[in-house]
Amino acid sequence: MTVYHLSGIRKIYGSRTVLDIPAMKIEKNRIYALLGPNGAGKTTLLNILGFLETPSAGKIDFREKPVRFSASALQALRRDVVMVDQHPILFTTTVFKNLEFGLKIRKIVPKQRKRIIEESLELVGMRDFITAPAHTLSGGETQRVALARALALKPEVFLCDEPTSSTDIENQAIIINLLRQINATRHITIIFTTHDRTQAAGIAHKTLVLNHGKLVAANYENIFSVLVTHNGNGHVRCRLNHDVSLSATLPATYSGNGRTRIFIDPHQIISESGVRNPESEIKPQKSSNKLQGKVHQIIRENKDIRMVVDSGVWLTMIMSESVYRQNRPSVGDTVDCYIPPEAIHTIR
Amino acid sequence: MDLLIDSFVSAILLVVSLDAEMIAIVGVSIKVSLTSTLFASIIGIPLGFAIAFGDAPGKRWMITILNTLLALPTVVIGLFVYTFISRRGVFGPFDLLYTQRAIIIGQLILIIPVVTAFTISAISRIDERYRKTAMTLGADRIQTAWVVFREARFGIGAAVIAAFGRVISEVGISMMLGGNIRGFTRTMTTAMALEYDKGSFTLAIALGLVLLSFSFGMNMLFHFFQGRSRL
Repeated sequence: MTVYHLSGIRKIYGSRTVLDIPAMKIEKNRIYALLGPNGAGKTTLLNILGFLETPSAGKIDFREKPVRFSASALQALRRDVVMVDQHPILFTTTVFKNLEFGLKIRKIVPKQRKRIIEESLELVGMRDFITAPAHTLSGGETQRVALARALALKPEVFLCDEPTSSTDIENQAIIINLLRQINATRHITIIFTTHDRTQAAGIAHKTLVLNHGKLVAANYENIFSVLVTHNGNGHVRCRLNHDVSLSATLPATYSGNGRTRIFIDPHQIISESGVRNPESEIKPQKSSNKLQGKVHQIIRENKDIRMVVDSGVWLTMIMSESVYRQNRPSVGDTVDCYIPPEAIHTIR
Repeated sequence: MDLLIDSFVSAILLVVSLDAEMIAIVGVSIKVSLTSTLFASIIGIPLGFAIAFGDAPGKRWMITILNTLLALPTVVIGLFVYTFISRRGVFGPFDLLYTQRAIIIGQLILIIPVVTAFTISAISRIDERYRKTAMTLGADRIQTAWVVFREARFGIGAAVIAAFGRVISEVGISMMLGGNIRGFTRTMTTAMALEYDKGSFTLAIALGLVLLSFSFGMNMLFHFFQGRSRL
């Protein structure tokens, strides 16, 4: 079932078009990652999907019914779609009353409210903070309580604006696992924005990429469907196509032969021997995890350099600027890419 | 110097002995000031909230006018109200002049801008995310407004305290519209002015001490609310 169907959606501030989406569909019970640089229109799109902003033009179908952009109609729709901000804010009262707010609005009886609040806090590992004043919580704890506050309402769609951007690594793992868990157990459609391609690839069923307010072609970067064979020494070989196969150290729990999907961490790929003559022959080497390829695209992303290489498969690698400067490959140059076995992960 | 010390000691004794005349004057002051503050809050808080929360056209102009009214001298208000409630005024037949109600009307004009402007300031300081959060949790417009109001409650409390502090210490309106009638419209400030004219400083200093205590208490409360509003 399609939850959202957007057609011709545009958002214009003054003379600036910040969002221009000719068509977009969001399927029920799926996790979507919304990627893009700052100012790409991710939060604006999320606000529109959360019925907090109205588009300047276009049509939205929600649950296959057209959305009317009147205040009362949007308020009714907001009961099924909850958004958690990048830097969520809690009301200056207790954690319990924060979670109670939305439940009271939905006229849930007090006894049931208490049960739901306790369950929701348990889910995010914040049960012990139920009576704590909300403003005494840390950033990560605030984020988790904000998630619990949203989840307590059992929304059909859950929108998260960079849910892990202001949290430490421990809280990031908790939040990511939580998103997976609620999607799997509660069948909630999740749309989250992120800058982290690895994170997006790790948990999202589909990745959407926004750039300058427009959806751009979003292929699964470094995600491949492979044929796995065990080679007996604890390693497995993942065959990507006729020419490319890689040795990987998949988890001990992984026992399957046959087809699976793998993700190659772009941060761990090493551009090993620098620039070669552009005219040299490209030969994927079958025996090692070394692939030769031609540089297709080089982009600066914040402090990192993102390089896309055509090596028989499209490979994206991310390196620091200082590492990039060592060889300075240009578009069209031939480079060696070494993929350490530990850079390869299976995807559920 | 002896005069000051003697007057000061006598004044303290007067305060400690809870002198009947002093208590009556303080009582009138508190009654009039509390009433005007109450009515100013009933009018000023919703008005300030509506201006700050809404998107009414001319919002900036309204704020500019309110800020100008903050500097209105009490004697100008006294004179203005007098022209309406004197025997020849529009409201002359209501016999309001030299009554506590006249003082309250004048003080209302003085502090409605105070309560309104401070409420606007308190609401404007509230993080926009509170409104967005309330909306995404399913709140309607009134419920969202209530969330913003709750978050601004300490700032609004400070507005009310500031208004009370302003009226309890004003003298122009009380003198011009109340007439300083003993036991009826004589407030702390008008009594102090009268005692000064008479050259009798004991009661004036005693009332001054009470007024200072009130001001200190008001300031303590004001800072408490201001501090909480920044949490």
